[in-house]
This record gives sequence, C-alpha cells and structure tokens, in this order.
Amino acid sequence: MVLWKDFVRGLWAENPTFRLNIGLCPVLAVTTSAINGLSMGAATVFVLICSTALISLIKGIIPDKVRIPAYIIVISTFTTIVDLVMHAYLPDLHSVLGIFIPLIVVNCIVLGRAEAFAAKNSVIRSAFDGLGMGLGFTWALTLLGSIRELLGSGTLFGLALIPEGATTLGIMSLPPGAFITLGILMAVMNMVSARQKKMAS
Amino acid sequence: MSESLRMVVVLAIIGMVSAGILSVVYDTTSVIIEENAARALESSVYEVLPGTVTVEIIRSSGNQLRVDDPKEMREEEQRTTLIYQGLDGQGNVLGYAFVGEANGYGGVIRILVGVDEATDQILNAKVLAHSETPGLGDRIEGENFRSRFVGKMVTDPIAIGQDIDGLSGATVSSRAAADAVRQGFIDTIAVYRGGE
Repeated sequence: MVLWKDFVRGLWAENPTFRLNIGLCPVLAVTTSAINGLSMGAATVFVLICSTALISLIKGIIPDKVRIPAYIIVISTFTTIVDLVMHAYLPDLHSVLGIFIPLIVVNCIVLGRAEAFAAKNSVIRSAFDGLGMGLGFTWALTLLGSIRELLGSGTLFGLALIPEGATTLGIMSLPPGAFITLGILMAVMNMVSARQKKMAS
Repeated sequence: MSESLRMVVVLAIIGMVSAGILSVVYDTTSVIIEENAARALESSVYEVLPGTVTVEIIRSSGNQLRVDDPKEMREEEQRTTLIYQGLDGQGNVLGYAFVGEANGYGGVIRILVGVDEATDQILNAKVLAHSETPGLGDRIEGENFRSRFVGKMVTDPIAIGQDIDGLSGATVSSRAAADAVRQGFIDTIAVYRGGE
C-alpha cells in the first residue's frame, strides 16, 4: 500500500512536469515528436530508478557534508551508461536526443528525488518513488511530443495522420510551440484538479 | 576516523567504483559505436554512387613527415581528405564520393556527395548529419533539395541564388549545404585529379 502510494504520487499529484514544474529544459527541448518524448522519458526513468535505489542503499555511509557530490557521481555514472548504450545500440535515436541525454545529470528531478526521498527512505520505496516520478515525467513528455508532432508535422509516432500537403502549424515544431503547448496543458491540469477538489468538498 | 578523512575516503571509493564501471561500459560500447559510424557512412556511399558493389577508401593528407605527438596527429586527421571510390562488379571505377562540411544554422552540416568518374558531374548528395531547425532547415535532407545539386560540375558556381535554388525560410541552411558541397568538391577534385 505504501509502495503503491509512492508510485502513483509522481504520476499525478506530484507530477514533476505539470505539478512541481521541475526539469523543464528537456521537456521543452526534445518534445518535437512523440517518440523523442517517450525515449527521453525512458532514459530518465532508468537513471531515476537506478540512482534513487543506489543512493538509498549507500545513504548510511555517505557523510552528510559531501552527500551532494556523492549523489552527483552516482547519477552521472548511470547517465553516462545510458548515453553510451544508446549511442551504440540506438544510434538514430541518440543523434536526435543528442546533448539532452548527458544533461539528465543536471535534471533537477533526479537530484531532487535523491535528496527529498531516497536519502530518507528504504531502497524498495525509493525505487518505486523513482519509477513513479520517471513515468510521470515520461507521460508528460510523450503527451507534449504527440500534440506538437500532430500539429507541427501532421504525424504521430512517425505515422502520417494528416494528408500530405495539408497546412500544418510549423510553429508547433519550434521552441515557441513547446511553451504554448506546455502552458495550455498546465492550465488544463489545474482545471481538472480544481474540479476534483470541488467535487470532494 | 576523523570526519574529514571519512569524507575523502567515501568520495574516493564512490568515484573509483563508478570509474571502473564506466570504463567497462565504454570499452564494450565504443567498438560498436565506431562500427556503426563506419557502416552508416559506407552504406551512404552505395546510395550516392548507384551501381556500386565495393567501396575503396583513398586517404590523402599533406606531405607531413613527423606525426608522433597525439595533438599533431589529431590535426593531421582533420586535414586528411577521405575519398570513397565506388567500384562495380568488374572492378571498374564508377565514381567517387566525399564528405563536405559547413556551418549551418544550428551546427555543422555534413553532406556526402557522389561524383561520376567519367563526367565529373555530381550524381547524388546525402545529408549525413545536421542540427538544423525541424520543419525549416531540416528540409535540406529532402530529395527535392538534394536533387538540385545533381549534374553540377566543379566549374559551376554551386551557390544559392546563382545555380541552386534555396529553400524559402531556410536560407542559412541551404547556403551552408551548398557551401559544404562546393568546398568539398573543390578540395576533393584537387586531390583526386591532381595526382594523375
């Protein structure tokens, strides 16, 4: 039950993208297509689960004063592993996501969860927290990517949904499109939450 | 153990363990990464030189004699012109291909260009790498734009606004693509034909 709570928290109530508003740089930068968002999310999930679990495991031996550098080493190790493995086995995807994979190191979701949760809780709870946060981040990125890809290029996961030659909103593929889409999605999230609260009371 | 000593020891251990893990991962993946890059380039050569069965790589670099220090070797590597020669089943040379580079709007654009052996006319061009804006500059990858280089010779201007139509909304990217093709063509033909 506790594990379930740790897991779902990141999906909605404390969704890193829509609720906590952290780690927004990759959210805005890589979501030009649904597949980019999904893969960036998947890479982040891996780093999150591994680093929160490992940090929780070794939290006892890390002196308090050097905990941040210690966490950063752990996080950057897993990030570099993802980067190298992706480069070797998924070169096409790697060339698209490019610099944003190494930048997972400085994604504040990862360090944030290490500091706020993994440093105080058991290994298994930390892993579930990491998984929930990671998947919350992933669905946010995938949704954003899907909307931008559909409106900007007329495709979804590479499949053409809008007939060739139809007018697409080019701006959705560009950085302003990311801000516009994120803003609208956040407004919708707030609206839904406000309605839920009203219903409850 | 005093606190400061403990801090040093713990951080050192964490650092060493992660360095160890990473060196193993790097060793396994770097081989595959290099192979992928080489294979991707080679398969592109088949695309820009139709009918090619085997590819031979010609390496040419200035007549530098002493290359023992790594920095110099890296510079040497950058100066090296690689020419890919496409041969048919009988071993006849069909054409040659080279990689042209220029700075675009978002970074370096690398284009592989195939040239006919007999006529020295461009047969085909393929964008290998770029970081242009999606929806605008990345249209240089499209067949529609690349086909504008076909048939050009080294004596042609190969410039946007002269003999190549640019892409509307992607002036910088199209100009960089043309620059990459032209400069690569001039450099390559000097080496390739100069030796004869």
